[in-house]
Amino acid sequence: MHSPLLVAPIFIPLGGAAIGLLVARNRTLQHSIGLISGVLAWLASLTILSINLNGDILTYYLGGYQPPYGIAFASDLLTSLFAVMATTVMLGGIIYVLGCKDKSVSTPAFMPLFLCMGAGLNGSLYTGDIFTMFVFIELMVISSVVLVAISDNRLGMEAAIKYLLISAMGTLFLLTGIAALYASFGTLNMADIGRLLAEGERPVLAQAAAVMLMCAFLLKSAVFPFHFWQPDFHTAAPTPVHGVLSSVVVKVGIYGLIRMTTLMFTDEAPLIHNLLIILGLIGIFFGSLSAWRTYDAKRMLAYSTFGQIGFILVGIGWGNPVALTAALVYAFNHAFIKSSLLFITGAVSSRTAAKTSRLTEIGGVGSKMRFVSVLYFVGGLALAGVPPLNGFVSKVALVQGGIGAEQWLTLGLVVGAGVITMLYMTRTWQHIFQQHPEEGVKLKPYGDSPLAPALLIAVCVALGIFASPLLDLATRAVAQMSNPALYISAVLGG
Amino acid sequence: MNTLFALATGIMFAMGVFQVLRRDLVKAAMGFYILFTAINLLFLAVGAYNGVIAPYANGALPDGQPSDPLVQALLLTAIVISFGSYALLLGMISVSSRRFRTVDSDEIDGLKG
Repeated sequence: MHSPLLVAPIFIPLGGAAIGLLVARNRTLQHSIGLISGVLAWLASLTILSINLNGDILTYYLGGYQPPYGIAFASDLLTSLFAVMATTVMLGGIIYVLGCKDKSVSTPAFMPLFLCMGAGLNGSLYTGDIFTMFVFIELMVISSVVLVAISDNRLGMEAAIKYLLISAMGTLFLLTGIAALYASFGTLNMADIGRLLAEGERPVLAQAAAVMLMCAFLLKSAVFPFHFWQPDFHTAAPTPVHGVLSSVVVKVGIYGLIRMTTLMFTDEAPLIHNLLIILGLIGIFFGSLSAWRTYDAKRMLAYSTFGQIGFILVGIGWGNPVALTAALVYAFNHAFIKSSLLFITGAVSSRTAAKTSRLTEIGGVGSKMRFVSVLYFVGGLALAGVPPLNGFVSKVALVQGGIGAEQWLTLGLVVGAGVITMLYMTRTWQHIFQQHPEEGVKLKPYGDSPLAPALLIAVCVALGIFASPLLDLATRAVAQMSNPALYISAVLGG
Repeated sequence: MNTLFALATGIMFAMGVFQVLRRDLVKAAMGFYILFTAINLLFLAVGAYNGVIAPYANGALPDGQPSDPLVQALLLTAIVISFGSYALLLGMISVSSRRFRTVDSDEIDGLKG
């Protein structure tokens, strides 16, 4: 099916950003425009998902040029799943911004940049053209760098410089990969590249391109050899930005990896899968253990993202349909859990005098905040995978995938590593909410609003109790992407 | 022509990588831009047609072998993006040099620990 609705989740936030800049003097108006465009983008992505559920793959050719010549946007169930996750968390972030007391949030450029980041995120998911994907990823990177640079945290500027330099290296990998693909196939449309590769063309440069693209995607999702920027950059970000970065922006690389192994480089996939299992396991242990030993509540969650991405990679690496379904479900659930936990930590740390989340200063700050305490507890249990929350569903799906793949060693390690999550989440919860604050610590009477995390935790609980629609959706998405001919014919033929 | 492109790209990549690894952040930023220019040259080199005549000038196909227009369009986008990132990077280095009174990346160490 062919519909301009597909570009709505990209151009609505961009339009909102443009109008937001025009009315920058009126902060209330600007923030309400942000909220409206967030809601509209969310509704548009839900509509696209419902069209995809009827079995159609939605396409749109920008400017009317037929692929492989023009820029094509395409959305199958996989894209829709990731995009709904992204727009929902973005909407949560915008709601958090409305109740946020940070100085950086009231800068005129904050909301437009936040919306640009959302547009880049949606664009890099919906596009069917690899160069357009690069453009949208860069839009996302540059806006997030500026958002971190203006953060209230003094370290923001330093972290932003560090990330911009490192991300530029990732961009170089991506561009070299794109150049290699163009040199060998003369096209940049992912479906067309997939068609040519499936027809048996296999130039040497294409395999080099696969390596380059993989490096780029691994860097964007902070997987083991390229992970070192992530905790610094994410911790220094303002809370709403941190929530979005740690939960959905890191998933763009995951999406790219899934697209790469299922649509384009299906023959090289077993090799890539083995590598992903090893990198994922390193990530799980390194991330979880670092999260346990770190000194800052937000930094702990950033390290924890590093570990959780490892679980998703192992799921992709096992590669059978059940494990792929589990990886999708895991990615979807993790986004809501992690963003809500980060928003809660931000709301608590906004009460401290220095707005810090260092464990030495945040201890006991939440002892009077009953509601927030319950939210954090529920979120922590969901992250650790306790029934009936959504984290349990994703863990069970992952274990089933491991049993299906008959990889007992990795399965054992993955299940064992889940215990570490439980340890650091309960420890931090006790530290923040269950003890009395130290003598002489002055707390602010008001802080950030806990509305956004409450909504996201509600989504987590709902996804835990009514798990079957999501599992069903992910199973259908995997069935659709294991037959790349469907996607190729929809993009090229329609 | 291809040998020339390959040599130029290789040399620029080497220069860029060396420069990016310097301790001085301003020099690192210049290395960043050299690397992006190297990538742009690489893009020019991978064009599907090797001609040197401008394509589609005056609304008609020219005589002889035209150059590849698609890589030129891609290049324009890549140049704009790299230029924007470069300007942003220099701006941030300028702000942080005022705060730390140095551009030596070893002395800007707030994130250590």
